[in-house]
Amino acid sequence: MINIHGIGWITKEEYGCIARGEKIPYKNVVEFDSFLRKRIFPCPFKNFGRLDRISKLTCYAIALAMKDAGISYIPQKRQDIGIVGAGDSGSLQSDIDYFKDYLDCGRTLSRGNLFIYTLPSSPLGEAAIHFGLQGPLLYTAAPEEPLRTAMTIASEMVLSGETPAILAGMTEDGAAVYFVLMKDSVSNKNILCDEKDIRAILNKGMTFKKMIKELLNLRKGNN
Amino acid sequence: MESRRISSSNKIKAVVVACDVVTAFGPGVDACWKGIISGETAISELKRFNTQAFQSGHAATIEGLKYLQKDSLVMQMFRLMFKKNPPSVPKDAKLILATTKGEIDLLEKKFLRGKGNASNANLRYLLKKVSALAGIQDSGIIISAACSSSSAALARGASMIRNGYSDCLLITACDSVTEFVYSGFSSLMALDKIAARPFDKDRRGLSLGEAASYALLMSEARAKKEKREIMGEIKGWGLSDDANHMTGPSRTSDGLIMAISKALKSAAVVASDICFISAHGTGTLYNDEMEMRAFHSVFKKRIPVYSVKGAIGHTIGSAGLVEAIIALRALKEKTVPPTVNLKTADDDAWGWVSDKKKTLTRNNAALITNAGFSGINTALVVG
Repeated sequence: MINIHGIGWITKEEYGCIARGEKIPYKNVVEFDSFLRKRIFPCPFKNFGRLDRISKLTCYAIALAMKDAGISYIPQKRQDIGIVGAGDSGSLQSDIDYFKDYLDCGRTLSRGNLFIYTLPSSPLGEAAIHFGLQGPLLYTAAPEEPLRTAMTIASEMVLSGETPAILAGMTEDGAAVYFVLMKDSVSNKNILCDEKDIRAILNKGMTFKKMIKELLNLRKGNN
Repeated sequence: MESRRISSSNKIKAVVVACDVVTAFGPGVDACWKGIISGETAISELKRFNTQAFQSGHAATIEGLKYLQKDSLVMQMFRLMFKKNPPSVPKDAKLILATTKGEIDLLEKKFLRGKGNASNANLRYLLKKVSALAGIQDSGIIISAACSSSSAALARGASMIRNGYSDCLLITACDSVTEFVYSGFSSLMALDKIAARPFDKDRRGLSLGEAASYALLMSEARAKKEKREIMGEIKGWGLSDDANHMTGPSRTSDGLIMAISKALKSAAVVASDICFISAHGTGTLYNDEMEMRAFHSVFKKRIPVYSVKGAIGHTIGSAGLVEAIIALRALKEKTVPPTVNLKTADDDAWGWVSDKKKTLTRNNAALITNAGFSGINTALVVG
């Protein structure tokens, strides 16, 4: 059986942890990044400013999910935890940013630090580096319900023993959510719910905001 | 792709029953195999766009493709491949498409020619086209894991079969050489000026290549029931991440060692069962060094190692699948391909790599390794 040990989420207005029942508004803060960085990352995030927006949101949601699951980390100390991330548009915005910049430079020079975010898996790579996650890492997309696809892949990887724990989630439209999945034989601590409970919510195909509301209800046992 | 088991056995074998490639050697596995075995390189002067400002002016491109025209380069490749050797794909097959940049030339076309829409480059549209072209009902999924994309997709497909979630999958992969991709690799100073020389003492960087490929996977039981030719088995796989650097490989190789160890365990084999390694072997200083360090750590005795990237270039998201197909062919032919463009093996690769093809005395299992940006590693055991 696969259990969910923590869920972290962030939108343009608020962020939180499901098991902890946290829902923190931040839309009125002046400096979006510096405020969130100090609040969300327990360890300093090297070069966070150069990350693209999808990478930042992904890393925020992963930090919150790990905190929710009670998984601590120290940069440089690695753990066999994987990441499966999903999205609707991949790296499209970063592709546009890179190519426009290249054209603006007269098609002679391009910037490597923009190019690296033109891979859909790069935001997950940034998270793997900061949190020291050495398990399987891949990006997935599907015509319908990419988040459900990411959850399916992640739970099958854990079930088949490819990795003992995995983060699965999605970043899109200025919002991100990540779930921590583990097999019950790996850890019985901090279990929030069965993976099937999450699947039942995802199957409803609701908006991000409504999904978070349902997830928070799940903690209260109202589902 | 719902998680619904069609069987509960965990001993189901995932076998390859059909496959094909289109590379710079032209359409077909035969063309690619013959090119590599003869020690030729398909890397040549790149005429698709102006390369004067870049670190190199060479790549391994497929002849006859039209750039910035109606169809994207990768769709032209798929058409070429499916036209020459149409796969007999059951309608109930699941679809996985592995790529990094898919139809990125459609985005280029928008900005360079003002035609189309940048969002046409969304990978989901490509998935829909490939699904229609292959004539299957499944809407499919994309897997993107940098230069390990298609080996991760193969691992995913094999896992679905082994664990009873499906008994037939079409794994497809593609990436092309475009100005977008070329300028990016050039900006990272990753390119050899002329042609990649994997594992050579004087290697200077990689050469970009392009390819489309597919492999039809089935459970052994279904393959036998449908009287399909079994070309080989995906015996095991391991995926890991270095968690170290976005573009630079690990200086300790622990990520790749982990992936190889997981793959051997998954295949229920030991290191001595592996008769050769198809390495990622990009030709960059650090990648090849990282891989050799991992091989020295896992394999106590020297075994043949080769890279196909001196011949067909680095085909990015398609690399793992093309290399797995070539490795299966090598097992069938009992021949280890040469490492094209190798002149003097680097000290750590000496005795492992060769510029000559080699006859295999045993052909039980082969290892295929891939590594990509974000520190993603994959290892596959085929046999």
